[in-house]
Amino acid sequence: MTSELSEKEVPKVESATSSSIKRIARFMGFRVIMLIVTIVIGVYATILIANMGGYVDTIMRNNIRETTIMEVAQLTANKAIAPEARQKMVQDMIDLEEKRLGLDTPFVIRSFNYLWNGLRLELGRAQYMVSDSGSRTVRLILLERLPATLLLMGSSQLILFFVSVFLALMLSRSYGSFWDKLVIALSPTSAAPPWFYGIFFILIFAAILKVLPFGGMVDSPPPDTTIGYALNVLKHLILPASSLIVAALFFSIYNWRTFFLIYSSEDYVEMAKAKGLNARDIERRYILRPTLPTIITNFALLLIGLWTGATITETVFLWPGLGRTIFRAIGYYDTAVIVGSTIIYAYLLAFTVFLLDFVYALVDPRVKVGGGNN
Amino acid sequence: MFKKQVTFVIAILLVTSLLMAACQPAAPTTPAEVPATEAPVVTEAPVEPTVAPSTRVGGWLDEVVFSVVDADSVITQLQAGAIDMYANGLSSKDLPAIKEAGLAYSTNNGLYYNILYNPATFADGRLNPFTNRKIREATNWMYDRNYLNQEIYEGGALAKWFTIQTQGPDYVDLIDVARSLETKYAYNLEKANEVITAEMEGMGAELVDGKWAFEGEPIVLTFIIRTDSDKTRLPIGEYVAAQFEAIGFTVDRQLKTGSEASPIWIGSVPEEGQWHLYTAAWGSSIIDRDEANMFQEMYLNSSQQGIPAWYSNVSDPEFQELGDKLYAATYKDLAERKEWMKRALELSLEDSLQVWLIDGKGFIPYLDNVVATADLAAGVESGQIGPYTLRFDGQEGGTMRWATQDLFAEPYNPLGGSNWTFDHGVYGMTMSNDLMYDPYTGLTWPLMIERAEVTVLDGLAVGTTHDWVTLDFVPEITVPTNAWVDWDATTQTFITAETMYPDGLTTKRKTVVYYPEDLYEKVKWHDGSNFSYADVLMSMIMAFDRAKPESAIYDESYVPLFDSFMLSFRGWNVVSTDPLVVEIYSEAVLTDAELLAFGVWPWYNLGEGSWHTFAIANLVEAAGEAAYTIDKAEPAGIEQISYIGGPTLDLLAAKLETATAESHIPFAPTMGDILTAEEAATRYANLKAFKDEHNHYWLGTGPYVLDKVFLTEKTAVVKHYADYPYLADRWGNFGVPFIAEVELDGPGQVTVGEEAAYDVFVTFKGEPYNADYVKYVKVMLYDATGATVLVKEAEFVEEGLYKVTLTAEETGKLEAGANKLEVAVVPLVVNQPTFAAVEFVTQ
Repeated sequence: MTSELSEKEVPKVESATSSSIKRIARFMGFRVIMLIVTIVIGVYATILIANMGGYVDTIMRNNIRETTIMEVAQLTANKAIAPEARQKMVQDMIDLEEKRLGLDTPFVIRSFNYLWNGLRLELGRAQYMVSDSGSRTVRLILLERLPATLLLMGSSQLILFFVSVFLALMLSRSYGSFWDKLVIALSPTSAAPPWFYGIFFILIFAAILKVLPFGGMVDSPPPDTTIGYALNVLKHLILPASSLIVAALFFSIYNWRTFFLIYSSEDYVEMAKAKGLNARDIERRYILRPTLPTIITNFALLLIGLWTGATITETVFLWPGLGRTIFRAIGYYDTAVIVGSTIIYAYLLAFTVFLLDFVYALVDPRVKVGGGNN
Repeated sequence: MFKKQVTFVIAILLVTSLLMAACQPAAPTTPAEVPATEAPVVTEAPVEPTVAPSTRVGGWLDEVVFSVVDADSVITQLQAGAIDMYANGLSSKDLPAIKEAGLAYSTNNGLYYNILYNPATFADGRLNPFTNRKIREATNWMYDRNYLNQEIYEGGALAKWFTIQTQGPDYVDLIDVARSLETKYAYNLEKANEVITAEMEGMGAELVDGKWAFEGEPIVLTFIIRTDSDKTRLPIGEYVAAQFEAIGFTVDRQLKTGSEASPIWIGSVPEEGQWHLYTAAWGSSIIDRDEANMFQEMYLNSSQQGIPAWYSNVSDPEFQELGDKLYAATYKDLAERKEWMKRALELSLEDSLQVWLIDGKGFIPYLDNVVATADLAAGVESGQIGPYTLRFDGQEGGTMRWATQDLFAEPYNPLGGSNWTFDHGVYGMTMSNDLMYDPYTGLTWPLMIERAEVTVLDGLAVGTTHDWVTLDFVPEITVPTNAWVDWDATTQTFITAETMYPDGLTTKRKTVVYYPEDLYEKVKWHDGSNFSYADVLMSMIMAFDRAKPESAIYDESYVPLFDSFMLSFRGWNVVSTDPLVVEIYSEAVLTDAELLAFGVWPWYNLGEGSWHTFAIANLVEAAGEAAYTIDKAEPAGIEQISYIGGPTLDLLAAKLETATAESHIPFAPTMGDILTAEEAATRYANLKAFKDEHNHYWLGTGPYVLDKVFLTEKTAVVKHYADYPYLADRWGNFGVPFIAEVELDGPGQVTVGEEAAYDVFVTFKGEPYNADYVKYVKVMLYDATGATVLVKEAEFVEEGLYKVTLTAEETGKLEAGANKLEVAVVPLVVNQPTFAAVEFVTQ
């Protein structure tokens, strides 16, 4: 009897496993396709927007004419040159520059080239921008700035995230206390952007107290030793990182604290308190655990958000980061750099979203990958 | 409860203080009162112009450290002592803050601003007032240029009426005409309104409820106002729009950035009528000594600008002919040129396709103890003389902290590298050349050459100012048969005049340049290699080879420049290689012989270069691994050569190894005649050692060596070059420009028909101005209507004192009323006149 039951149950288990695999595979396949379609649409939309649907070609052609005329005027000042020769020189230079920038190919064709190359991560070469080392390779333009951005954004955002979550969790347990009210009162300070605090900090610590540098990533000239260089970079990191942290800190704490408060007042938490569980266990098992998907989502998005840099703060502190690079690329209509940056961000975002579906299932038993009948 | 209140109060205080701090204007930018009559000065460096003799060679400093600083924090950083100077310069809006901070500063040319009119007749039948030259001319009276200067440029710019540079060489030469026209076209809104009203009515327009209309439709002026650039074009545009509205026009203000505006004002067909006015701006970073071409370029439909609005302009036939003749320089001598220029100035204001408003200035701030020579046009950063005079006051040595806007914007190589002014700041420290541009006159002085002889055809309008260059006129100049006139890239040999022009070749100009006898001993490249004739020969070859399709280093983008060069080039004849004496034959002729005295220094497009660095870079380009110019690199998908960093450093290193191993002699069929394998090996070894020490290949012969570069950190260090051949005090007299200070003293009342005398006191820093430095003191007398009654020169009395005597006959021409006597002191040594005026009453 027992064996009969077992024999009957095994196919059921196999069937359930097989069904789960199929469900997950179907889900993954569908998800991947959707994400790829989203990326293609998103990147092509970026190409169209960055080029104003092709109108940027007109802008560039006129800019080329304007700058070439002025360039030739400078080149031929104090030089005797026949009018025809000068006119020919202007036209030849305009033709060459238009050819260099690919303006001799229709925008529609170029736009699909950008998309296809971008999707294959063949980032190509910038039209105007140059990497710090003098290269026009988009990969180098982005990679050379990445360490500085990761250092600034990574240090500030990670500190901000963990400090906010830690303090918020504490405050959620002491609702209505002096510190809780202080944080609430100070949360409007986040209305001012980081660069505002940056200017303020520069005035205090660089101009008046003269204890920290005005900007840059390192002294001019940089220290010769590696340790000296590292310490010097840390010194330059203090003000920009502080401005990013201070600008968002109180609002971030307030935000997380409100989020935790909702969970802190759930019936099962009250029950746990009534049962006499200690505060740490309540925090870990009854508050943190159900909020983990949200915390992980925020953390994951924070990590990929590091890629975008902090444009204005980097500008205020002359920090050689990606934010400034991308901002300049937009100003130059340098499509290759814009697409390069966008496609990497899009892939990172898609991968993270894809991964998060599985992470949710791991950390929260209520979540099932692909949904299913139940 | 108490805690709650305290918390609330602290929070409110904190937020309020932050907001207040954000909203209040920064202290250093508080505008200072600038008297309306104050003339801008070139420099206020509190130092004497001459320096004590010294035995130091090269630059005065031990080291210059370049760094990048945000322009908004420059004054704060200078006050905090974080930097010594900001070489890139600030705009006029920062001038009050610079003064308030007690900083020294120099000036240089900024942008110059104007209103450009669309002169086309619109295809849709709308009335375009600016087809009418008289209306365009009348708008000169609508704009109060001095008001704009004070309100927008803090009094730091110059009011501008003409296309030629205000206070530039041609302006100074025509000063009496210029001042008379400035008086004639001074601000007078009523007069503008009167003329415009008459002309508008003549064109069939009518005022309806105070607004101009045509055939029942209101006339709406579409005004493209730029909001970007240095942001001063927005208030200019607002002012101009308000003035038009004040006389009955409806103005549609279209605020646009450069990229939004150019498709309209450049890209559209003027006859479509997409715009009426545009806030234009132009730039010039050199003291242009011959601006005769500007009338055609800036007004006429024969202009080479290639901008549609010009083609639609129908100018007065006299102006058209005169502008074209001035462009072609067909005047028979300088006197005729001057007459033509005078008339062209008058006609340009009557045409007024563009109405000029402001000659902007840039301001280069630095600490009190810094001595910096600023070229009047190019400033410190792009001025050639800067590195030779930059120092701390009364001190030899020291480290100068030089801040600028950016660095390493593009790769460094002397042929097609970065052309940004901030990168020129670094280049300039390391470079020499044949001649040194005078920072105050735009003429030249010998730097590496000894002397020059210029010979031109009889009747050409050429003159000379300095005695280091001689000028002769001859009926014919024949190019010698052995002169090099072209290059055969296949055989890698020069083509002589005899081969190319068997019937002989004549030309307009011959320049003979003599280099010092000890040139090859005393001048060294920064890697220790002695300068040699091979460096010169290499640069001569490179001038041709890159334009030849058969060459391994052919560059299509060089061809337009080469073609323009060949139009005037007629040959080089190396008379002697040691000492080096070279004859240059050319069709290019300018009004100043000093500007025709350039020789054959190995100066490429952006800087000088030794033959051996070019030899290895040529190998890289010939192999298709990288290219000098972006125009060649981009289509090939390769990198642009950079001597100072990036991926091409490794390519250069590999080719240096190859060249060393093979004792490579570039262009061997020609260079092999003067170079041995041993000499080549020594050069390559020197370069390798230099690279090992400095980690780059940037060589020069200038007063500083590029020691270190940090590309991502945006900083560079140049160090004093102890082997530089000339003394540091060689250019000491260019410390500050000798701008005269002038006072005019005399009677306030004059009787018509009686003689009157005025004294002109001319000083420099309180001492009488050296009479040898004065070109002339021009006197202009205006009557009560502003008309010019008299122009003559003041009489020299003694050093620092000149006398103006108005004879009985001259005062007899005046009527009873208020008159103005103005003097303009025009120095020879600095291209900036000083004006003084006195008003007197006639009875």
